[in-house]
Amino acid sequence: MTTVSHAMLAQMWMPSGDELSRIAPLFSLVATLVAILLGALAVGRSARVSAGIVTIGTLVTGILAFRGLTEFSGPWQGFDGSGSGNSPMLVADAFSYFFMLGLSIFMLVITGMWWLGQQSSLPEREVPRQDPVEFFVLFVGSAFGMALMVSTTNLLMIILAIEMASLPSYGITAFRKQNSLAAEASLKYVLFGAITSAIMIYGASLLYGYFGTLDVATLSAGIAQAYNESSGGSTVFVTTALFAFIVGIGFKVSAVPFHFWCPDVFQGASIEVTTWLSVASKAAGLGLLLRMITVLVNGNSFVTPQTLDYMAQAIAVMAAVTCTVGNLSAFRQTNLKRLLAFSSIAHAGYMLMAAAILWRPAAGIEATTHPAFSAILSYIIIYMLMNIAAFGIVAMVYWATGSENIEEMSGMIRRNKLIALCMIVILFSLVGLPPFGGFIAKYFLLFAVWEGGLQWLVIVAVLNTLISLYYYARVARTMVFTDSGKPDLHVPLAGQAMVVACTLLVLLTGTFLAGNLKSISDRGAKNLYAVAPVSKSVQTADASGPQAALPAAPEDGDDDSVADTK
Amino acid sequence: MSLLNWIIFLPLIGMVVVLVAPSEMAKRISWVTTFVVFLLSLMLFPPFLDGSAFEGGYGDAMQFESRTTWIQIGGDQLSDGTYEGGLKIEWYVGLDGISFPLVILTTLITWLASWTSFVITKAEKGYYALFLLLETGVLGTFCALDFFVFYIFWEVMLLPMYFLIGVWGGKKKEFAAIKFFIYTLAGSVLMLVALIAMFFASAEATGTGTFDLITLATNGAISTYFNDPSHTFLLGRSFASVMFVFLFIGFMIKVPLFPFHTWLPLAHVEAPTPISMILAGVLLKLGAYGFLRVCYPIFPAAGEQLAFLLATLGVINIIYGAFCCLAQTDFKRLVAYSSISHMGYVVLGIAVMTDIGFQGAMFQILAHGISSPMCFFLVGVIYDRAHHREINRFGGLWLQMPKYGSLATLGFFASLGLPGLCGFIGEAWVLLGTFNAPFSWAKPMAVVAAFGVVLTAAYILWMIQRVYLGEKKEEYAGFPDVTARETAILVPMAILAIFMGILPKYTFMLMNGSIDAVLDVIKSTAGTAAVALGG
Repeated sequence: MTTVSHAMLAQMWMPSGDELSRIAPLFSLVATLVAILLGALAVGRSARVSAGIVTIGTLVTGILAFRGLTEFSGPWQGFDGSGSGNSPMLVADAFSYFFMLGLSIFMLVITGMWWLGQQSSLPEREVPRQDPVEFFVLFVGSAFGMALMVSTTNLLMIILAIEMASLPSYGITAFRKQNSLAAEASLKYVLFGAITSAIMIYGASLLYGYFGTLDVATLSAGIAQAYNESSGGSTVFVTTALFAFIVGIGFKVSAVPFHFWCPDVFQGASIEVTTWLSVASKAAGLGLLLRMITVLVNGNSFVTPQTLDYMAQAIAVMAAVTCTVGNLSAFRQTNLKRLLAFSSIAHAGYMLMAAAILWRPAAGIEATTHPAFSAILSYIIIYMLMNIAAFGIVAMVYWATGSENIEEMSGMIRRNKLIALCMIVILFSLVGLPPFGGFIAKYFLLFAVWEGGLQWLVIVAVLNTLISLYYYARVARTMVFTDSGKPDLHVPLAGQAMVVACTLLVLLTGTFLAGNLKSISDRGAKNLYAVAPVSKSVQTADASGPQAALPAAPEDGDDDSVADTK
Repeated sequence: MSLLNWIIFLPLIGMVVVLVAPSEMAKRISWVTTFVVFLLSLMLFPPFLDGSAFEGGYGDAMQFESRTTWIQIGGDQLSDGTYEGGLKIEWYVGLDGISFPLVILTTLITWLASWTSFVITKAEKGYYALFLLLETGVLGTFCALDFFVFYIFWEVMLLPMYFLIGVWGGKKKEFAAIKFFIYTLAGSVLMLVALIAMFFASAEATGTGTFDLITLATNGAISTYFNDPSHTFLLGRSFASVMFVFLFIGFMIKVPLFPFHTWLPLAHVEAPTPISMILAGVLLKLGAYGFLRVCYPIFPAAGEQLAFLLATLGVINIIYGAFCCLAQTDFKRLVAYSSISHMGYVVLGIAVMTDIGFQGAMFQILAHGISSPMCFFLVGVIYDRAHHREINRFGGLWLQMPKYGSLATLGFFASLGLPGLCGFIGEAWVLLGTFNAPFSWAKPMAVVAAFGVVLTAAYILWMIQRVYLGEKKEEYAGFPDVTARETAILVPMAILAIFMGILPKYTFMLMNGSIDAVLDVIKSTAGTAAVALGG
């Protein structure tokens, strides 16, 4: 079907069987995308067919990712672009498989939500029913972009991946075509995304122009050199470039001050899209950040402790501000989706706190692991469960009543006991109260942050927990303490099952399965530090200009880390 | 599963049964569950009295221990399958002389409160489910010896309490509920910070971090490190004092201690009677228990440094609470403020860190645990009939309801601290302990606190005069006397109030061994800290 001939393809690039199996989940996503289009060609525009293809494709992706997670122990890097840079384009390791496994599970949930939404009696203006093919193409496209975001250490690929994730997201945000809120949201999203992307690409171009390489691991050494020379100009220059990158990532995770799109998009998009963006987009952004940080910090080649500290403090401040602004802004929200949007900003803040720690590989922490990694992964897992349940409940209320206001929850304890109970558990888990999973995850996070030496951040986080109680409790209050006599809420069985399952998991991870949560996350965080050394042996020597001053990346020390990966 | 684990989790099983059973059955299930829990807790008596509960150092005397690893992160696996190092969270529960009487008190009061709850008619299923969940939270907190488990149970209490006040409360119930929630959570987040900090500090001291409250208090290396004044922490303060203050604030909000007491009168006034009974009888004790279990054994040096401040807060509670009582016209609010005043004695007794002070504080905890639920119940009885609580509108109730009047007088006199009833012993011991404390300010402090006794007598006698004495009033002519159920609830508390007042030695006997052990720990640790100071 493609216009590229096989001969051309073979000439350019000949992946081996091993390589293919390593990146099989990515291929599976692309294949799903193509299959949707082909399916539409073959049988016409059918929601059933598109959704079915996505379901199958997602299942296959999940299985392949799971296989990758269990089968391959060490990291793999490949697809050295022929010619310039010699930088591996893709990385596949436990972390990326872990992420893709979670992503495919989440995609299944979103597809289910979309399907349930179609069944509701709301008008087209509220629940778009046309163009299922376009919807799923964009949806799988953004998923593919997110999967790429955690699977690369190449500047160009990073930018491509971010755009691949963002552009379809703009599209699916505007899918309620007759709803002006959706159009407004999408426009805001595009504008914000365009500007932050531009800034990030500018940062990347600075780095490339100065160091002549696209490989982040190689850049690491160059950046170290630049700082060590401390020749004024280049330090400022490199710092600017790094911060430009943080802008791009900050946009994806909706960190303050790049969060303004978030509440509008969450409100304007249809609810399955909101759910999708609230977890997947943030998780991908965080995954990319983790990847960047580990590669940059790895082997301690990334400059003086002082500079590390500088970056750590910058992210820490951003995290603290994100958390506080998110929580305070949520106070006055009356729309549940907006409220959850601000809540998601706050949660991104908590996760960024642990990311700040990653800049300082503190003494006593083994080279191949870092408690903050698995803490962030635990948090993402729990956060995903909580958000599926919370948005799922909001969605079911919305499908039944056509409104997303907190008022709609009034008297829920009478109208639908099970849903009300689940929502209460989820709300207080979002606060971070034991014995729910939200507490355990937050505890792991704060534990790692404290161990990393940013004690003040822990205090900020617990104070934020206190602030957040008020608005989460407000929703619980509406459900339990007030009753404006609304009729009983009938919900689709599948939706109810999904919500109950997530709630049970949140309860169990807070109690009996707390250890399992940790070990699963440890599995995903395994060998994350091992990625860089392999690529560092790939050197850029053919560049001219300022980058000629670039010394060979330190070869020593790398082997140790590789050895640690078994 | 050991007996203690059954006691902790039986209410939770009861909660599940309540949830699946039909709504009409809820109150009976709850009654039976709480009663069985009470009986089971009584079954702890013989082994407790036979065992070595009264000898040995702190922690050695722990009875009914149950211990398994819950979460193990990192660390090295030893040949026998156990782990060394890493982050280990254990399910570790046990009872000593400090927690044992409190567990008995909890099971008794909860059972009585469950019986009291029979008047509740709104959404019974939800009510009893939350009620039983609350009991598990309280019992778990008293039994936990692992700080992490302690914290979890501490927080588990919040949710049921929030809904119990918020749904089944009075006019301003929602405000009262959220205020209770936010205040208590504010305290517990500070506790969470201390929890994390103490783990890492203990890891620095011994190489293996621990949440074990006994080890944290008795391990020489840990306590030396914790109480080393040169080990600075936030803003250049010593580690011990920062941690102590964090923990103390967490617990003092629960007690509640001035200036964090404002949630209490509100919560009490709005809460339904049985919840007030549990709140006053049991939940407030958790704060004081936290001082004795966590703050003082682990950070005695900081406690000694801050003794004046803490004792002052205790005295403020006594005097200020009593003055507030004098000003109240709402019957329930008066009892609520009297709780604040009475808990002041507990804090004062603990703050002076003497043998007699600790004993007095513990006794006062138990005495107040008996007398205050009784007082709240007595208020509830009249509120159910009159549907108002204006002290000045009452009068002549003793003549109208003779049995009620007699029991009420007994209950309020127990609260007043009349010699021969439980309240007296606790207050007297605290004052004695304060008077004998080795601080220059101790004697004046004791004298000031003693004025509290006079004020207590004043507000209680004045209240009795206005409510129970005087001529019969037309308004209350048709009121029936206490029913059989109400009598059955009041009598156990009345008997205990008299028993503890006349034969206090049996109560003291239960706890003195453990109190001595705690004091030994405090002395030896404070001694080490003094050496580290160079003095």
